[in-house]
Amino acid sequence: MSARTLLAILSALGALALWQALFMLNSDSLVIAGPVDVARWLTANAGLVGRAARTTVLAALWGFVWGNLAAILMAAFVVVLPRTERFMSFAALVIFCLPLVATGPILRVLFGAGAGPQITLAALAVYFTTYLTLVVGLRAVPQAWSDLARLYGRGPLTELFVIRARASVPYLLAGLQIAAPAAVLGAMVGEFTGAERGLGVLTLRAMRSLDVVATWGIASVAAAVSMLAYLAIGALSRLRGQGPPVLILSAGTQAARVPVWERAAMAVGVTIALLLVWQIAMDAFALSRFFAKRPGDVWAYLAEPAARRTLLTALWETLIWTVPGYVAGLMLGAGLAAVVTLLPGARALVLPLSVTLRSVPIITTAPLLVLALGRGATGTISIVAVMIFFPAFVACLHGLTQTPGQVRDVFASYGAGRLRLLVSAQIPAMLPAFFASARMAVPAALLAVTTTEWLATGRGIGTLMALTASTSDYNMLWSAVVVVALVAVTAYLLVEAAERWVLSRYAAEQVR
Amino acid sequence: MQICGTARFLKRPMQDSIIKGRDVVCTGLSKVFGGRPPVDALCPIDLTFRAGETTALVGPSGCGKSTLLRLIAGLEVPTEGSVRIGGETPAELARRGGIGMAFQDASLLPWRSVHSNVSLALRLARQSGDAGAVDRLIALVGLDGFAGARPAALSGGMRQRAAIARCLVTAPDLVLLDEPFGAVDELTRARLGAELPPLWRDRGTTAILVTHSVREAVTLSDRVIVLSRRPGRVVADITSSGLGAEDIAAGVEAVTDALLNLT
Repeated sequence: MSARTLLAILSALGALALWQALFMLNSDSLVIAGPVDVARWLTANAGLVGRAARTTVLAALWGFVWGNLAAILMAAFVVVLPRTERFMSFAALVIFCLPLVATGPILRVLFGAGAGPQITLAALAVYFTTYLTLVVGLRAVPQAWSDLARLYGRGPLTELFVIRARASVPYLLAGLQIAAPAAVLGAMVGEFTGAERGLGVLTLRAMRSLDVVATWGIASVAAAVSMLAYLAIGALSRLRGQGPPVLILSAGTQAARVPVWERAAMAVGVTIALLLVWQIAMDAFALSRFFAKRPGDVWAYLAEPAARRTLLTALWETLIWTVPGYVAGLMLGAGLAAVVTLLPGARALVLPLSVTLRSVPIITTAPLLVLALGRGATGTISIVAVMIFFPAFVACLHGLTQTPGQVRDVFASYGAGRLRLLVSAQIPAMLPAFFASARMAVPAALLAVTTTEWLATGRGIGTLMALTASTSDYNMLWSAVVVVALVAVTAYLLVEAAERWVLSRYAAEQVR
Repeated sequence: MQICGTARFLKRPMQDSIIKGRDVVCTGLSKVFGGRPPVDALCPIDLTFRAGETTALVGPSGCGKSTLLRLIAGLEVPTEGSVRIGGETPAELARRGGIGMAFQDASLLPWRSVHSNVSLALRLARQSGDAGAVDRLIALVGLDGFAGARPAALSGGMRQRAAIARCLVTAPDLVLLDEPFGAVDELTRARLGAELPPLWRDRGTTAILVTHSVREAVTLSDRVIVLSRRPGRVVADITSSGLGAEDIAAGVEAVTDALLNLT
């Protein structure tokens, strides 16, 4: 048995022991169930949970396939036609920023019964990270390799198929690894918003009947499925003889510096294109205006002061809980990563466990956190923070190791301590990873908060979406989708601007 | 400054009848890389690389040697001027596999075996090649027994041998060598420098070699061209073909002087 496997087994046993200890300390509380009770419940309901898990896994799998296929095609397209990259990337971002919880009910109406919405949401949850990762991977080939194709008069397609595609496989596998738990997340959010079968449906039922053991049992199954998928793809990439590459999706690697006016023009262009696609898609399928709202309908609705007031009030309620959770999650992630780096040997112990925990789609455990921390500010802020914490922590731990060995040697040769090395060399080297995770955390934070509001809190734009979905107020539902997507895109771009500003001063080589 | 040495052919002289290579004619060739600020890489250069000759390009780092090589290969588009190889553009010749190029770090694709890396050039050049040609070339560069090996299993010198085999497998009219022995140790470098150049010299292929080693430039080539600091322009054109041991020392001195005069 390899040291790695042994460590994984010990970590899992440790986590179970910690869980049982927490349960025994809080056995009077109504929010925590022990692993023994959970195992008993799962055994007793093996058939039911097995069928639900099968439904969820199938939806996640199809979403995984379609989403990643779209990502691969898009990445190949922008690598062959680099001029389209900014347009494609911005369009991909806007679609990624659509709030899944509200998109679910709309898709439910469009698709009717069946797994269509879950599959679509799973695909929407996975495609963006795979796309970003693969673009980096397809571009990461040494110039001499790409010269080889051109040297014999061959074009970008040959270069793509013969050289870049094969060279980018480690990156693709790294992207797929991140995508696997995201697909389960997408499928479960789809089930939260109106499916007939699946783990998400069982979760809702357990929550509504305040069945704590069942809630923990289902969350455990969802977490285990995600972790297994994550570990399986990790094992596949190691089978090829190399681990996944360290991925830091810095803004600097995605687009060269371009004038502000050009970016603004491109944003307007993409917005118009997406609005056109939206309008044409609705018209082409002759979808009823009652539920399939067009851009004009949303515009007209948002022009009404009463509607606008309701929407903005709900949005404000959401944002005042999202921002503290977002900041807390990021700061905790970065701070703990720095602390772990200072403690000798801690990194080797913490990293594998954190990487595995990162694969748990936190949102599927949101019901547990709501149970534990309540439906108020603490619960919601904690869910957002926990959702962001693990990716930020893992990214920052990787980032802290990016300091070149020779730079460390220089510090060592002057007898500098760990703290001095951390502050002067490792934290600047961590900045690209920190900002990349901060940027990717924006849509994640909004997903966490809207899902929690949808499920539990009774306030904010998530609740407004849930209410309007159940009362068939499609004008408000579509408007909420548009407004949340706009907020997410704007926040993402603001973080990206901050990223460029900081990197250009402290890590200029990262901004190409 | 234009220095012209005396041609004394002690190395294997090239006979017209076996010359396969073509003249490479650069006319008013210049390159400016866009950016902020733009980088002037090459002054307009008028230069002819004669068919069948091996010409070495030397000069300070960043003087545009590799840029000139890439312009000739058709990998960069000139800002002004043109390149003609036996009357054809680089793109026309490239499509027939008429240009072979070797890079400093061998640049073998790590997921392919030596055989597969070498035959990749045939595939890219849409040449069928006979089944044994790849094996024969692999044996010729001294890698028989390693055809099935992946690059990771080879030493730096062996990887360079494989890269030279890939460069020659399409029987190119022009061979471009961008510091091909720059990443190996001194002993391997000397051995590769002695064993590999005859592979293209004996075929009469035109070759252009970029190198930082003055001795290598003088011993491996028929002619050494010294480029100035950026933007590169020709400051010396020294004939080095067929030099004996004493004359090689003189050739090295002449090229070194030309380089020292740049400062």
